[in-house]
Amino acid sequence: MIATTKFRKWVGAAAVAMACSTMASTAVLAEPQKGGVLRYANQSGPGTLDPYVSSSAVELEIIHHLYDSLVAVGEEYETRPMIAKSIDMADEGKTYTFKLRTDVKFHDGTPLTSADAVASFERYRKISPNAVIFNDVASVEAPDPETFVVKLNKTNAVFVDILKSPVYPFVILPASQKDKPARGIDNIGTGPYKLGEWAKDSHLVLQRFDGYARNPAYQGKGTDGYAGDRVALLDEVRYRFIPEANGRVAALQAGDVDVAQSIPPDLAKRFDGNPNIVVQTVFPYCMQVFVVNSSQGPTANPKIRQAINAVVDAEEISEATGSVAKPNHSLVYSFSPYYQGDAMKGYYSQANPEKAKKLLKEAGYKGETITLQSTSNYPNFRSAILVLSEMMKAAGMNVKVDIVDWTTNASNMQRGTGTWNVSTTSFCSNPLLGPQQWRTMLYTFPQVKNDKVMDDAYDKFYTSLDEKDRKTAWDAIEKRVLEQAYMIKIADVGVVNAYNKKVEGLKPFTLIRYWNVGFAK
Amino acid sequence: MLRLSALRIAQSVPVLLLVATFAFVLMHLLPGDPAVVIAGPDASAEAIDRLRHQLGLDRPILVQLGTWLGHLVQGDFGQSLMLNQSVLSAVVDRLPVTLSLALFAFLITIPVGVALGMLAACNRNTWIDSAVMGVALVGVSIPSFWIAIVSVILFSVELRWLPSSGYAPLTEGLGPWLQSMIQPAVILALFQIGYLARMTRSSMLDVLDQDYIRTARAKGLNAWSTIGKHAFRNALMSVVTVSGIILSLLIGGSVVIEQVFALPGIGRLVVQGIMARDYPLVQGTMLLLGFAFVLVNIAVDLIYTLVDPRVRYD
Repeated sequence: MIATTKFRKWVGAAAVAMACSTMASTAVLAEPQKGGVLRYANQSGPGTLDPYVSSSAVELEIIHHLYDSLVAVGEEYETRPMIAKSIDMADEGKTYTFKLRTDVKFHDGTPLTSADAVASFERYRKISPNAVIFNDVASVEAPDPETFVVKLNKTNAVFVDILKSPVYPFVILPASQKDKPARGIDNIGTGPYKLGEWAKDSHLVLQRFDGYARNPAYQGKGTDGYAGDRVALLDEVRYRFIPEANGRVAALQAGDVDVAQSIPPDLAKRFDGNPNIVVQTVFPYCMQVFVVNSSQGPTANPKIRQAINAVVDAEEISEATGSVAKPNHSLVYSFSPYYQGDAMKGYYSQANPEKAKKLLKEAGYKGETITLQSTSNYPNFRSAILVLSEMMKAAGMNVKVDIVDWTTNASNMQRGTGTWNVSTTSFCSNPLLGPQQWRTMLYTFPQVKNDKVMDDAYDKFYTSLDEKDRKTAWDAIEKRVLEQAYMIKIADVGVVNAYNKKVEGLKPFTLIRYWNVGFAK
Repeated sequence: MLRLSALRIAQSVPVLLLVATFAFVLMHLLPGDPAVVIAGPDASAEAIDRLRHQLGLDRPILVQLGTWLGHLVQGDFGQSLMLNQSVLSAVVDRLPVTLSLALFAFLITIPVGVALGMLAACNRNTWIDSAVMGVALVGVSIPSFWIAIVSVILFSVELRWLPSSGYAPLTEGLGPWLQSMIQPAVILALFQIGYLARMTRSSMLDVLDQDYIRTARAKGLNAWSTIGKHAFRNALMSVVTVSGIILSLLIGGSVVIEQVFALPGIGRLVVQGIMARDYPLVQGTMLLLGFAFVLVNIAVDLIYTLVDPRVRYD
């Protein structure tokens, strides 16, 4: 028996207004004027602007200006319809019907229809490294130009939450791009800015798209994540790619740029006393964790992993990294619906070498080498590993520190290659978005295999139509990850950006957004 | 001379083949998987494996080397994994930046380095000699990235005379190009000026001790003719040799300067290529740079015949 439940529906302004209540208070504080060219110092240029294969921040930041997603994230990473105007879930979470807005136009002037959504889906499934999200899709249909229907093989209660991911975003491309190879599209989107001149390694220009259709459901409600009312005020945003932080700081001080992204906190002190420069901390930006390899060497033993967790003094480690950091015991942020208060606090920052010694004894540890791997490309990662190595030595562990380049380090964590036991990294979008986006990381990085408790909990998470049950499932997942010390939380970290005070409307968010931003009148 | 040039280029083929093989082996010895870098952190193991297959990275290494060399013979340097562009066009796009930086720095280095070296040699063991050699020592000792940071703070942030970073192509006019290049070019030249000044001084000192210089002075030639015509002409051989090396070093040294001043040149391209494990890009660029060094050496050999009529290659 198939029951059709209209479980979640976003229709019309009323529902959206309710959903947007958090952003209403921050909307329309300043009124920047229309026009002007904003010069922006960014770390590096994009390799590609093909959304379906893009996962790096520099690429995604530009992509979110050029394209609109079917579903996007709000200011606190909630799920918001964007090109969709309503979403119906039916058939116990196996059928999703998206009604599309009819006013949306591509940068080449052609109107967006459900045929574009179907073609986009097919291209995504074919070329995206994240195509796994559509593994359970049985079929997609476009019964009429405004309707896009996705049918799944099995219940997935969080399918729409998965679609909102701003990493490998499921934006709608023109149907003409369907057969274009990965990294080979024409960069025609529906976003508030269109692509102007792009000289790789040097600069890139975003130009205002005057034909942009503002989402009527959000009009006048201001900036809200990658959804909301996206109004391009600036004529152009000129990206300049300046890899050296010193260079970005100097460019802002010298007036060569108006906004500079990612400034190390130490260098940000150079702006002290400069009345023309505003320093903005984006928090939380990422969370830094120790990743413990559960598949090889001494750390295959859970008691040894727990012993490592027991020695961690998160405050001391955070201090050594020099990052903008705040302690947080959880693998989600306090504003997330999955945050469970202090329930997981016991696993965090125990700074208890005696407990570690006891656990090592129980584990039968006989001084086998534990390899801590990190990279010199990110000094904060290296510092964290060096401090941890001293804490582990103090508890009697035989530690070897191995410093390699970041590509090797990251590759080892993702593929389980190399002989490492503990490493560290920061996860940015995944913990912000929710358990569905965290899943791959929680399994892949610590090399978790055959963990029935986690597998069952995730299964429950995906099949629970009731949000309360999903929260319970997440609690079990997080408890398992922390208890087994697959990952050891260090802290939530922020990033510092700076801009000239004549720029108005820049709101802190993981990636910089130039809609609703302009120069002071 | 044309025959000689053609012969030398033909002789460079085995050298370039060795460079190509070394570049290939060195890149593949580096740990890290380009497929992982390209696929990104969220990619599944299957997606990574699929990408490795698409890129041909799952084939035996000797097969990959053979394929690459086979394509090279046909003038195909391969396709960059991260840029989705042919390696040759990626390098050609960035060549004007690196070449103009290196040549500009070269044009600063040669007159200044030679003049300082001659000045020191002609005033041997005086305060002028000590001062010039002191400056040269500072030039070769201080890391260029540090000088670059201090220079930017002084000339761009405080005085606002020059842009802090970025490249203005010549198509935007000579003025903007000069403004964007003068700071990086001078800093890049500083190390080489110190090196050239020391080399010029020492070869001038050798020449100044020769009998024919004493004779020239004894027969009453003025100092300018003695130094300029007799001494410097004879010291020029080593200066030319060193200049060839300097031009090669300037191209190599541009990696750091391009990074600090955000110049979109070949040096920055190689750094990005190495970080992304973009094998074809790094291998192809190394090979093209190797070819540039070969050309510089051929040019130096040809200049020898102009500087010293006794040198003949036939």
